[in-house]
Amino acid sequence: MQKISNSSLLKITSVLLILLVVAKVLSLVVLYLLPSDGVELNVEESYQPKYQRVDFKNMLRSSVKVTPEKKEVIKSGVSITNMILKGLYGTQESGFIIVALKSKPKNTSIIELGENYEGYKLVAIEKQSAIFEKGSTKYTLNLDTAKMAAKKYKKSTRSKAKNNVEVSQKIVSKSDIEHYAKNPKQIWKEISIMEVKEGKKIKGFKVTRIAPNSKMATLGLRKNDLIIKANNVVLKSYRDALNIYSKIKDIDLVQIVVIRNGIEKEIVYEIN
Amino acid sequence: MVKIAKLFGYTLFFILALMYFTPKVALYYFAEMQLKPMSVIINDEKVIDNGFSLSIKDSTITFKAIESAKIQTIDLVFFGLYNKVKIEGVTLASTAASLVPTKVQSIELSYHIFNPFNVSAIAVGDFGEAQAQVSILDKALQVDLQPSKLMNKEYRATLKNLKKTKDGGYEYAKNF
Repeated sequence: MQKISNSSLLKITSVLLILLVVAKVLSLVVLYLLPSDGVELNVEESYQPKYQRVDFKNMLRSSVKVTPEKKEVIKSGVSITNMILKGLYGTQESGFIIVALKSKPKNTSIIELGENYEGYKLVAIEKQSAIFEKGSTKYTLNLDTAKMAAKKYKKSTRSKAKNNVEVSQKIVSKSDIEHYAKNPKQIWKEISIMEVKEGKKIKGFKVTRIAPNSKMATLGLRKNDLIIKANNVVLKSYRDALNIYSKIKDIDLVQIVVIRNGIEKEIVYEIN
Repeated sequence: MVKIAKLFGYTLFFILALMYFTPKVALYYFAEMQLKPMSVIINDEKVIDNGFSLSIKDSTITFKAIESAKIQTIDLVFFGLYNKVKIEGVTLASTAASLVPTKVQSIELSYHIFNPFNVSAIAVGDFGEAQAQVSILDKALQVDLQPSKLMNKEYRATLKNLKKTKDGGYEYAKNF
């Protein structure tokens, strides 16, 4: 009878087991040397409040008119539906809103959080709305700037701001925006834009071509314009530019700052 | 002869065992780190070690922090003598829609020992069919494209950047 220890099967099994152990040990060494976590895109999430333009003259004029006497008149019973929220700034803890009555839309008032307006106490400021409280009931007043602004700028207008930045306002139809969003190819048929770098950093995006008689040509951009900002965001990367592009369908106001012939120029697009 | 057969058998067993035990997920993380300096990051993916292969599902590829493509499945098989990467269900970002159709059905890259200095690739998508060869020695890339009707009709501007061949296709060559 053959001894088990002499059997060739046992020898082969032993060698295979040793090889298995060696392979496992090697893999553990490799595992020790390799990273244990992958790379994930780390995007700094920053809340960008909705871009709004506020008529500062109106704010100043109206702020004078907010007097305690007026607050007493309020008690006569103005409904929340008769109010227009023209602008807001702040968070749930602090900030102010610009509000007016529909009957007197130009008589705006600045109301700080906690203050009363027409018998309603401002208790919170959201991204798109202000929350009022009267008695034990809460009311939400949504932001409604588009209609007001559209009335104001029916035609393209131009003005020169105090800091010598030329400002021009233009109306863009929502259907055009939707058309371009569905047919991005059309954009690049009508306009060519390329990055301009200062060292390794992107300084802005230069308009290198704009098709004459195209819709893009009516938007006020010209060849060699250097776009440096959009909605107050400095365009330092393709991501910054694409962020605006991806949200374009939901935005009703777009402001871009370009450098033209060495002078900063602001173009505001009202989308309605 | 028996000894040679045994040696061959042991070697094969060792290679297979090594392949099975190799920490493929950690190797994938290492590869991701190599891609990071090139601003290429793979996000939101599920990495599955299948023993002899690695699957990456539902990944989003970003280039310079811009979402560039979504990929349903990437299967990586490395046998040493024959290696294959199969990519299926690629949807390019809408920003690329002005250059090429955004749907790519499959891309298959293969490398085998009988052609050690070349990596070949075949891609099929709405753009048509493309075959590519990467020469490791010459550091050269050659792509032959047979464009689809859609590509011929809608993406002429892109095709203009390629050289037309006699068979109605297009070719692109680049040294790196």
